[in-house]
Amino acid sequence: MTTMEKLVLPKLEIRRLINGMLAEYRVFGPIDDDGVTLFKQIKDPSELDFTFTNSTVPPKTLLFNQTETLFKFSLGRSVKIDPVDIANERTVIFGIRPCDAKSFTILDQVFKGDYEDPYYLTRRKNTVLVGLSCTQPGVNCFCTSFKDGPASAENVDVLLTDIGEKYYVEVRSDRGKHLIASMKELLRSAKAEDENNKKHVEEKAIAAITRNMNIEGMVNKLDKMFENSLWKTIAMKCLGCGVCTYLCPTCHCFDIQDETALATGARVRVWDSCMYPEYTLQASGYNPRPERVNRMRNRVYHKYNYCPKNYGVTACVGCGRCIENCPVNIDIIDVINKAGEAKI
Amino acid sequence: MVNLDKLRETVKEMLAKEDVKYVVGYEKGTYGFRVSPSFAFTPEDADKFIFSPLCVNNLAIYPMLEEKLPLRKDEKEDVRKIGIVVKGCDSKAAVQIIQEKGMKREHVVLIGVPCTGVIDPRKIKARFPHQGKNVDVKEENGKFIFSIDGATYDIPKEELTFDKCKHCENPTPVLYDVLLGDEILSTEKEDYEEVKAFEERSLGEKWDYWKKQFERCIRCYACRDVCPMCYCKECMVDQLSPQWVRRSTNLSENAAWNIMRAYHLAGRCIGCGECERVCPMGIPLTELNKKLQKDVKEMFSYTAGLSLDIKPLSAIFSPEDPEEFIM
Amino acid sequence: MTEFEPNIVAFLCNWCSYAGADLAGTSRLKYPPNVKVIRVMCSGRVNPMFVVNALQQGADGVLIGGCHPGDCHYVQGNYFARRRMAILKKLLEYIGIDSRRVRMAWVSAAEGNKFADVIKTVTEDVKQIGPMQHFRRSNEW
Repeated sequence: MTTMEKLVLPKLEIRRLINGMLAEYRVFGPIDDDGVTLFKQIKDPSELDFTFTNSTVPPKTLLFNQTETLFKFSLGRSVKIDPVDIANERTVIFGIRPCDAKSFTILDQVFKGDYEDPYYLTRRKNTVLVGLSCTQPGVNCFCTSFKDGPASAENVDVLLTDIGEKYYVEVRSDRGKHLIASMKELLRSAKAEDENNKKHVEEKAIAAITRNMNIEGMVNKLDKMFENSLWKTIAMKCLGCGVCTYLCPTCHCFDIQDETALATGARVRVWDSCMYPEYTLQASGYNPRPERVNRMRNRVYHKYNYCPKNYGVTACVGCGRCIENCPVNIDIIDVINKAGEAKI
Repeated sequence: MVNLDKLRETVKEMLAKEDVKYVVGYEKGTYGFRVSPSFAFTPEDADKFIFSPLCVNNLAIYPMLEEKLPLRKDEKEDVRKIGIVVKGCDSKAAVQIIQEKGMKREHVVLIGVPCTGVIDPRKIKARFPHQGKNVDVKEENGKFIFSIDGATYDIPKEELTFDKCKHCENPTPVLYDVLLGDEILSTEKEDYEEVKAFEERSLGEKWDYWKKQFERCIRCYACRDVCPMCYCKECMVDQLSPQWVRRSTNLSENAAWNIMRAYHLAGRCIGCGECERVCPMGIPLTELNKKLQKDVKEMFSYTAGLSLDIKPLSAIFSPEDPEEFIM
Repeated sequence: MTEFEPNIVAFLCNWCSYAGADLAGTSRLKYPPNVKVIRVMCSGRVNPMFVVNALQQGADGVLIGGCHPGDCHYVQGNYFARRRMAILKKLLEYIGIDSRRVRMAWVSAAEGNKFADVIKTVTEDVKQIGPMQHFRRSNEW
């Protein structure tokens, strides 16, 4: 583990930096697709949209694909199973926000448990994360509630912060060092003035975050309020649409299905959502979570009680996507704060 | 503009009746321009109710979201009514569901609110992208008036309302038990201009357009879950034996999903536009639904959501149905 | 370079159009072999999902054969099928799928000749339009 290198890059050189990456890596970055920001593969730096707050679909989709072929099979005298080549090209996710980068801490724990998932882990190993600090947080951002910040650097290999005419560049890992090795001449060492500018930008961004989730003591409080009427009140408006789970950087539920075409086929893993009734529907017809209140409560507990207990980290990074996109304004900050105030 | 006191009084009166379980209305949201569905079980709950140009949700879906679990021994089914605050378009959804026998007319009590158009959240967000604190909106003389941080903004209605509101033929609810305010007569007619313009394009252009849209779909099914007309106990895409649409997200399956959902809404979609509002990828779903709305009107003289007495489109036929396409 | 031979899936109602196809066969009438028949009891059984699924699985064209109006063995099935297909064709055309890919025909049990003609026409038309690629399943994973 290298000690952190602090460099600066003149803003005008960002194109050359990205071109340097494109020469050796596949590069994914935020692009504007008809008004919706998504992380897609780029071939030229001009495709990138630097004005985005955050993408609609989080970059987890690049490591934990929505549709993943696990293996193929074909019928002959007997069934023949063909493993797939898991994409192991060197990849850069450029412009990932600190909250999305932090989500990999949780996803790593999930996919590296008793069974190591080769699909996610191969990609994770081969992907360099080039983060972009937030200078203007969104209305529903609350990363600061988890002692993180708009310029937090957990899991980020190279963190860029826009400090005016330059980018402040923190190289935090060997992978990051290797990434920029061929472009070293574009960068020079950061001076004290640059460091101060960066701190100032970071403080300004933190001050711009207005919403706060009172997470202190939540694990214990939730332990005591499983049967509380609050869950029914909130779940009454829930449509069970699942948008919150699909757009959440830490959600990782999946379904496995076999797709067949007479004599050939494949076993495919696809995203699923715990908010759908079918998620826990058993073959007997019994459903342990038959009502929306059960599923909504389960989601809240999974993120703020079970994961902290199992993995030591809250399974929420404060990105605010669920709040923005919920059709009926189920606001997780409001939910947790209300839970904190609930009388038990 | 709806008199808020009258709205809350009406809800309280309704709750006082023994046969009403709860009333669904709107309350202030948690940030910016959001509004949230609100459930009033007691008269105190009713004081939270509001109605403003930000009230976009179609609340007619809530009777269909009631979960009926198996009853315990000696437990009687709760058959009390549900009260719903409905705008013009929302009331059409209720009518259509009753028409198809999805729910009984006696099961709902409708509080009709004559509506002069609601604000498209995407448009208002584009105008005020960093608005965190709650904002109140008033409508006056064809403008929306906002007070934000001490400053007042008045913006012409046409710049902020949904496109669907611009051609609304039913500003006054078509079905209601109580009407809050005077009836508004419609001055607009839906002429399907955009649909007709799109029909003129070549087949290749049409496919290129929809291919791009379908490839973006992430199959979150938010469109289905917010739609009051999508209340099948088992949706076709959740069927496993046989499986019609695979769960993989690729062009083939996404196209099949979107085509079949639009087809299943033929003669049923009442044009509330919720599907398009909630789609996280911004897919223009109302364009597909509007096309079928127009076709069904032209071919079968049928419009959804207007009358409780007629039968649903797919349950009837006429010997004079068009058959020029049949060999 | 072999000529494109389309795959046509035909849903034929048991009482009229399937019998008509049978008559075409016993009369030794010649018609293109591209059609693959699925017998249903009534054209009203045909769910538009069948048509879309057939197009996904590799059909270049889909034909629904039913009894003439008024002659349906189950009285009304063909009327409902007529309504459904009218809507489906319009929808597919709006998406950019040539409406000549999905056809409907009234063929009675006595119309062996008509059946052969219908197949000839549909096969020719679909041959002209070309293979259905738009939302075909690739079945490559």
